[in-house]
Amino acid sequence: MRRFVPVIVVALLATVPLWLGDPYILNAFITTGIFTIAAMSLNLLLGYTGQLSLGHVAFFGIGAYVSALTALGFDVELFDGFHVVHEPWPVIYGFILAIVIAGLCGYLVGKLSFRVRGAYFVIVTISFAEVVRLVALNWVELTQGPLALTNIPPVTLGLPGIGYANLYGKTGNYYLVLGVGVIAYVVIKHLVQSRIGRAMIALKENESLALSVGINVTRYLVLAAIVSAAIAGAAGSLYAHYLRIIDPDIFLFLYTVTMVIMVITGGKGTLAGPVVGGALFGAIPVIVRSFAAPEVQWILYGAFMIAIIFVLPQGIVPAIERWFAPRPSKKQLVASQSSVSAE
Amino acid sequence: MMKFKLLAGAAAFAVLAGTAVAQESIKIGVNEPLTGPFAASGTYVTNGARIAADEINAKGGVLGKKLELVIEDNKSNPTEAAAVTEKLVTRDKVPVIMGAWGSSLTLASMPKLMEYQVPMLVETSSSGKITTSGNPYIFRISPPSSVEAAAFKPMVPKMTIKKVDFLVINNDWGRGAAEDFGKMLKGENIQVGLVETMDQSAQDMSAQLAKIKASDADTLMVTTAVEQLTLVLKQAAALGMKKQIITTGGSQNPDQLIAQAGSAANGTIHLATFAPWQPDSTPNPQAAKYFIGEWKKRGFDFPGVTESFRGYDGIRTIAAAIEKAGKPEPEAIRAAFWNVDVKGLNGDIKFQKQGPSGKESGQSVPNVYLIKIDDGKVVVPTM
Amino acid sequence: MSEFLQHIANTLILGGTYALLGIGLTLIFGIMRVVNFTHGELYTFGAYFVFLISSVLGLNFLLALPVAIIAGLVLGALIELLLLRPMRGADIDTTMLVMIGAMIVMQNSEQLVWGGVAKSVSTPFPETPLVIGPVSVSYLRVFVLVMALLLIAATYVLINRTKLGKAMRATFQDRDTAALMGVNVRAIYTATFAIGSSLAAAAGALLGPAYVISPHMGDIASLKAFAIVILGGLGNITGAAIGGFILALAEELGAGYVSSGYRDAMGFLIIIAVLLIKPTGLFARAERIG
Repeated sequence: MRRFVPVIVVALLATVPLWLGDPYILNAFITTGIFTIAAMSLNLLLGYTGQLSLGHVAFFGIGAYVSALTALGFDVELFDGFHVVHEPWPVIYGFILAIVIAGLCGYLVGKLSFRVRGAYFVIVTISFAEVVRLVALNWVELTQGPLALTNIPPVTLGLPGIGYANLYGKTGNYYLVLGVGVIAYVVIKHLVQSRIGRAMIALKENESLALSVGINVTRYLVLAAIVSAAIAGAAGSLYAHYLRIIDPDIFLFLYTVTMVIMVITGGKGTLAGPVVGGALFGAIPVIVRSFAAPEVQWILYGAFMIAIIFVLPQGIVPAIERWFAPRPSKKQLVASQSSVSAE
Repeated sequence: MMKFKLLAGAAAFAVLAGTAVAQESIKIGVNEPLTGPFAASGTYVTNGARIAADEINAKGGVLGKKLELVIEDNKSNPTEAAAVTEKLVTRDKVPVIMGAWGSSLTLASMPKLMEYQVPMLVETSSSGKITTSGNPYIFRISPPSSVEAAAFKPMVPKMTIKKVDFLVINNDWGRGAAEDFGKMLKGENIQVGLVETMDQSAQDMSAQLAKIKASDADTLMVTTAVEQLTLVLKQAAALGMKKQIITTGGSQNPDQLIAQAGSAANGTIHLATFAPWQPDSTPNPQAAKYFIGEWKKRGFDFPGVTESFRGYDGIRTIAAAIEKAGKPEPEAIRAAFWNVDVKGLNGDIKFQKQGPSGKESGQSVPNVYLIKIDDGKVVVPTM
Repeated sequence: MSEFLQHIANTLILGGTYALLGIGLTLIFGIMRVVNFTHGELYTFGAYFVFLISSVLGLNFLLALPVAIIAGLVLGALIELLLLRPMRGADIDTTMLVMIGAMIVMQNSEQLVWGGVAKSVSTPFPETPLVIGPVSVSYLRVFVLVMALLLIAATYVLINRTKLGKAMRATFQDRDTAALMGVNVRAIYTATFAIGSSLAAAAGALLGPAYVISPHMGDIASLKAFAIVILGGLGNITGAAIGGFILALAEELGAGYVSSGYRDAMGFLIIIAVLLIKPTGLFARAERIG
């Protein structure tokens, strides 16, 4: 029964645009969905290898910039008189390039920063995100810096010869985000349930032991970083083409925090965790906005974050699993429970 | 301290009360940064907007109905700014919006305006892209740097400037100012030297200033918000810099500079868009006096007026457009914006067409004043 | 040449404040393994405290510093007791998230209480600068530098010459052995966090009057402090102090001779460079893995 839970959740989510008449809430679903995909990618690092990256927004932002620039084109003078000119390409190439280049950055950052662990790793990743932000801010010729990239085209689906469909509307974007989300989920699921995933978990549990039984720790960590960064890049690309303007604010530390909250409150190292956490922290700002003053909204947000960690330090999904674990007959309840919270 | 708690409470109440009186009122969406790094400015503009709405309602409202501001916080964050625009249009059904202070916040809201075909009055953002990207739902009352530079041009020959260095905030506003003023000055045969930037959250600019101090320029033009400007003036004085300092941007506030930078502010020259120190010499003395009086009566800090007046002018312009449209509907209001002629606090607000033809945005050209701080007082030099 | 000398003078002035920001964080970092995201908020807290005492209550500016230090101690101890003690034994990321939550709450509470408009504090120091040859600095900043150096020296003495310091060092080296030897590790943690917090508040109290005070002043302070701590090595007071001066020098020369746009990138570029050369920081002892 348990393995049908994701299918039921996706089926339920697929019906949302059919009955939800409120575009504001649908917009919240889409942006939350995008950040949930980013959170899922972070979970691969944080949950399965135990490395907390607080610079994850860098890959998200790189994906957004690569995708937007591919679609918009640019003309950059690299050194005296040598120009790199790029004509606008269809958005779908931007999406693919975003994944590839973000993954490549994941490789480089992984190679560099996995020399350290713990608190050092955290600060190194924050530094990386800051450097990337400052490059986006100051390399005005390429990124337009603070002047922002505007008029980014929306995602176009279709094949040459058959025709294209522009996804200006929310419903189209919703299904696109849902589709990418499902693919990301399946990729991560297969990865963590493979031999590679077991090696990752082994090194999270006990790195020295993993080393001693011949697991090439750095290789697996870097692999996780590549996949994680690539998925974050895909999420960034979705963001750029949905919001249709990006500027260096995309590297806001708050966005990383949002992803980390989603992973940890949902339950790191569980496949459903980021989805549950994403739903929760996508909903909270919408709910508190309806009754609290601006500063109070933030105070409630922060307080809720602390409270949920105190009550459920392992996250929501492991807590639900533990609650139902000794009573296998009630497994169906797990299904309804997690599908409710995943909405 | 209490004041802000009350304000926050009032804002919460206004949001709650909003749904109850929906039928008898005309709603105007206000999309401003009330938390995050731009909170101070967004709050000023929102307070200015409140004064305008209360004034209009006291006189019977618009089309016989009361104006109701639906104020939302965009958290100084572009994603939120877009979400707020979406909410205001689809949830609160506002026919017109004012916003969103920062350029990136406004730019993020613009695709939503196209999607729902709702007009937005832009009160502060300065990026040139806002009016030139072909969004016919945009009407801006704040001057982009090019307009400000053009207004400064006739004053240049009367001043002694040979070579200028720039120190600007590293965002669209600062970079735009350095570019537009630089271009204008070169046209006047004035040399342009260094162009240095400072991060918008930076507190220590002494490295940039030490470099500028050592340059051979006689004038330094600074563009940034008042808080950072205070620091620039203090730190320039600490370095013993003897150059003529001119600030641009219009939201800097000489009163605050005098209060916070002390003698470091002496001798500095400022391009301002509203001169509340001499309400009689503003284009609309009566409104200026009313606004300043009301601002003080409500216990807000006086220095806030040079920022908040744009919220006041913005709401009055929107009200005029609704009146002209004859009905609170987005398309009618959009069309009516082209015909408004409001006596704003810093000149007539009339929209000129800008951007690609067929889908032009509106841009109003406000007055620009040159003021000087002498001996801790603001003077308007006669030229 | 005179420009270069001015940059060096600026480096000394700025480096002192960076060093002060760094040592509080490195203490907590080194001994408790907590990345203290509230560091910047305690810095802001100290700055508003000076504003409260000298501008709102009208008391002497010089009185504000010791009061802010004590207030920082109390607030730090409270945070440790309420938020960190229940989290002991939890993962580094869970603890970090609690600290980020506390940061969000503190920052917005500051805005709720004081409003978003920046405050400034007037000081008894003359506004005309101190001029020595080609170099010019403000008296206030010289005062700040002297006080910062005194506080750093006091912290050094506390760690290396007192019984409490000995217990803290023992906890840093090996928590379990220290506990076995009768060190009250829980009390040491509370003391460490309180001292680190009071150093942040002191930095805010000193720098608030030199800059302007706003609810967001802590963001950039936190980032700089992180960079300094990595430079100096976790838990290394001397390293953090030197790291502060190195960061200031890199920023000054970077902005002066390279590009001011990348001024704030200098610290992070140094971190990345340090990692490539010596992953445990320039002055660090060996870091255990995990």
